[in-house]
Amino acid sequence: MSSNALYKFILTLGFLSLFHAAYSAAQHRSYLRLNELDFTRLPTDIFIQALISLFVIIYGVLHVVGDFKEIKASADLENKSWETFRNVQAFYTFCHRGQSFST
Amino acid sequence: MAGDLIVDSEIRVWVFLPIVIITFLVGIVRHYVSMLLASQKKIETQQLKDSQMILRSRILRENARYIPKNAFLIRRQAFNKEEDGYLTQKRPAVTQNMMTDPSMMTDMVKGNLTNVLPMIIIGGWINWMFSGFITTKVPFPLTLRFKSMLQRGIELSHLDASWVSSASWYFLNVFGLRSIYTLVLGENNAADQSRQMQDQMSGAAMAMPQDPKIAFKAEWEALEIVDHQWALADVDNKLFGEEKVKTD
Amino acid sequence: MSAKSKQDAIAYSEGAIRNNLSIVEYCRTSMAALSGCTAGLLGLTSLHGAFFYIFALISLWLMILFKAGFSNWDKYFISRKALLTNGFFGQLFTYILCWTFIYGMVHVY
Repeated sequence: MSSNALYKFILTLGFLSLFHAAYSAAQHRSYLRLNELDFTRLPTDIFIQALISLFVIIYGVLHVVGDFKEIKASADLENKSWETFRNVQAFYTFCHRGQSFST
Repeated sequence: MAGDLIVDSEIRVWVFLPIVIITFLVGIVRHYVSMLLASQKKIETQQLKDSQMILRSRILRENARYIPKNAFLIRRQAFNKEEDGYLTQKRPAVTQNMMTDPSMMTDMVKGNLTNVLPMIIIGGWINWMFSGFITTKVPFPLTLRFKSMLQRGIELSHLDASWVSSASWYFLNVFGLRSIYTLVLGENNAADQSRQMQDQMSGAAMAMPQDPKIAFKAEWEALEIVDHQWALADVDNKLFGEEKVKTD
Repeated sequence: MSAKSKQDAIAYSEGAIRNNLSIVEYCRTSMAALSGCTAGLLGLTSLHGAFFYIFALISLWLMILFKAGFSNWDKYFISRKALLTNGFFGQLFTYILCWTFIYGMVHVY
């Protein structure tokens, strides 16, 4: 459970960082426009920050979303006891003395 | 790049963002409203019983060779007896039509209410409220063919095709936010119209046969013509191999 | 190992497969949305954006494989290639929408 909280923290951090990068990029654009410069490329630090925060977010999402299950059918059956298989619906009996309790 | 046209940044705050937010929130609200309106499909006990009985008879038919002939005949008799077998009993014929069934009608009305109506109303409102703005520019070049699609409400023949008008931005949002709803609301959400349509289709296919009489008749026939051959007649010889086993 | 598994049919649990696929689908949708946002932020235009989408998909694929474990990914998925190619175009619209949205927010105004 605590590891899940950790990944959620990572996720939040990534989103904040991405938002910050977006804000910086917008600021950069308005700075360029005010000084009447042409846009060639983003400053390298914003570029790197955006990429890194993207990967941090995806890393967080991958771990928050849950674990994979084994797809082999036998893997699921390994933890089940023999009793589980005797639990067959067709052999249920409802016509017994318990009926009188329910009414 | 954007130097050819400078857009007032107030448009971003008062047109561009509101359209995205409105579209998104309307989708969320629609999800919850349709959840409120959704009526649980009620299955009648009799119907369930019938379908379970048919299932049982089918199992009997398919696995008949694993029980002795006597046992099979008794079971078949229980289903197919002339007077009081389960499959031969008389049932009042159910003549239900989709249109005459009131519950079906209300379902359809509700579906229209939650899907089509908001789309028209919100679309019309956005068209009226935010009409005639250039909102954004798609970051890739487009041919002139897209001009009528992306620049609804602006008639400027010299404008580059990659600029998007407010009305078209709304429609882009309506179609593009679908998978975001999946992200936010989980699978099988009601905000996603196409998925709901699919649900309705498969739901209709999975529904139990309206008329049990026909299903009973078919099952009765199939059960009648089963030729019982006991697969285990020779089982003792098989178990002991080639060794001769004395039987009476 | 592989020769042996070809001989006897392997029974797969359907629920587990569906569970894994829904997880991958979730990741893919969020990846499309987020990489769209990043592409818009970086101000990528035309073909660069398409390349960025492919780059994002491949890196997501690698990260999923990393999470499943490079050596025993076949415990969780039937096909490694289908993991990469499935839903390639399905999420494209989400990507384009996010791309356009953030590009408009950051670079147009």
